[in-house]
Amino acid sequence: MIRLTIDNALCTGNGRCHALFPELFDDDERGYGRVLSEELGDEQLEQAQRAVIACPEQAISVTSS
Amino acid sequence: MPDVPMAEDRSIGFRYIRERGEVFQAADGTWLLTSPEAVRFAHRHPEIFSSAEAFGTSGLPVPLIPVAIDPPDHVRYRRILDPMLAPRVINAMEDELRAQVRELVEGFASTGSCDVVADIAKLYPTQVFLTLIGLPLEDRDDLIRWVEIMNENSITGTGQPTPIVGEAAMSLFGYVQKAIDDKRGKTSDDMLSHILSFTGEDAWSNEEIVGLCILFTVAGLDTVTAAIGFTMLHLAQNPELRRQMLADRELIGPLIEEVLRLEPPAPTTPRVTTQEVEVCGVTIPANSPIMLCLATANRGGDRELPDDIDLQHGERGHATFGGGIHRCLGAHLARRELRLVVEEFHKLIPDYELAPGTQPRVVWPSSTLHLKSLPLIFPPAESQR
Repeated sequence: MIRLTIDNALCTGNGRCHALFPELFDDDERGYGRVLSEELGDEQLEQAQRAVIACPEQAISVTSS
Repeated sequence: MPDVPMAEDRSIGFRYIRERGEVFQAADGTWLLTSPEAVRFAHRHPEIFSSAEAFGTSGLPVPLIPVAIDPPDHVRYRRILDPMLAPRVINAMEDELRAQVRELVEGFASTGSCDVVADIAKLYPTQVFLTLIGLPLEDRDDLIRWVEIMNENSITGTGQPTPIVGEAAMSLFGYVQKAIDDKRGKTSDDMLSHILSFTGEDAWSNEEIVGLCILFTVAGLDTVTAAIGFTMLHLAQNPELRRQMLADRELIGPLIEEVLRLEPPAPTTPRVTTQEVEVCGVTIPANSPIMLCLATANRGGDRELPDDIDLQHGERGHATFGGGIHRCLGAHLARRELRLVVEEFHKLIPDYELAPGTQPRVVWPSSTLHLKSLPLIFPPAESQR
């Protein structure tokens, strides 16, 4: 299992996560990102890591559990 | 930094700046923050790197909402404005915006030549602005003229405005004020009417609304004009890149991001320090003028090809839209405009090249890096109707 989170204090609504990876993220009415599910299967690790790099604010993190 | 070699190759110009250090003081006293780490630090500390101090001396009679506002008041504006320019709002406008750009391209597709800057890049962002705030497209050319005069004389520049600049500013302010007066009290589904409909504690003052509209015009039009120009420049100069993109539409997004990363229309953004601060080992005194060099930050980090378009890494984040609480409010709209221009242009004109003898140069020094013109030639498209 892996764990995907957005640090809400760092997110400023660039919207790259939900634009690029709609399987993992949704947007709220301000355009800020939300994870669809914090717990993901290992097969989604690669995509989650790409989302980490895509975020201009470095607000996304992924950890193995 | 007027001496920086920028006109023909930004890679040389930005490297020249970056090589002077991560954090350094230029000859005019301004401190430049050039690395991704230094720029990110400033973005994350808006209480130390004040945007209000930097934009508060613009000489304009209204505050540029929301960029000229610091915390804690800043969030009040963004909570209201972010949803008005969120991706889902832009989605709802897409058909209208696509039809507009298609009409512009149809205007020259059968002639066999165009100037990307004059025929599409200058016109389209202003049309989109008018659409967004609910004003007639017939006002486009007046608006373009006023804003161009004002931006050529940089609103953050020093010295007295010339009579012609003063006249343009007066015309723009008069236009915005009249639009507000005309819309007040009426119900309509556009951004300006929406803001005017707030009542009680939520109501905006006239000064705030004028300030917002002025910021949109001076920051949201020529930047998109520049970005359209640069995107088309790279596609015109690099047929292989164009071929790849036309073969796989999924590459349009990465291409746009890479051009934004390499050719940021606003390569620097100003701040002023509110206290002494250490950034990347360098101590900067309080009340220092700062330039966050987004352009060099975009080419830093661990990229293998920092100065080249790299479609494989086109989803990586960059700082062209700034960062932190002042992250460009219009970023989602700008990205959509760029995508629609690329899509609609290539539907009618898939093959083109720079007009013979053209040597595209950016205007420098300038607060907004942009091409003066981008003449293309192409096989005339057959009439579409």
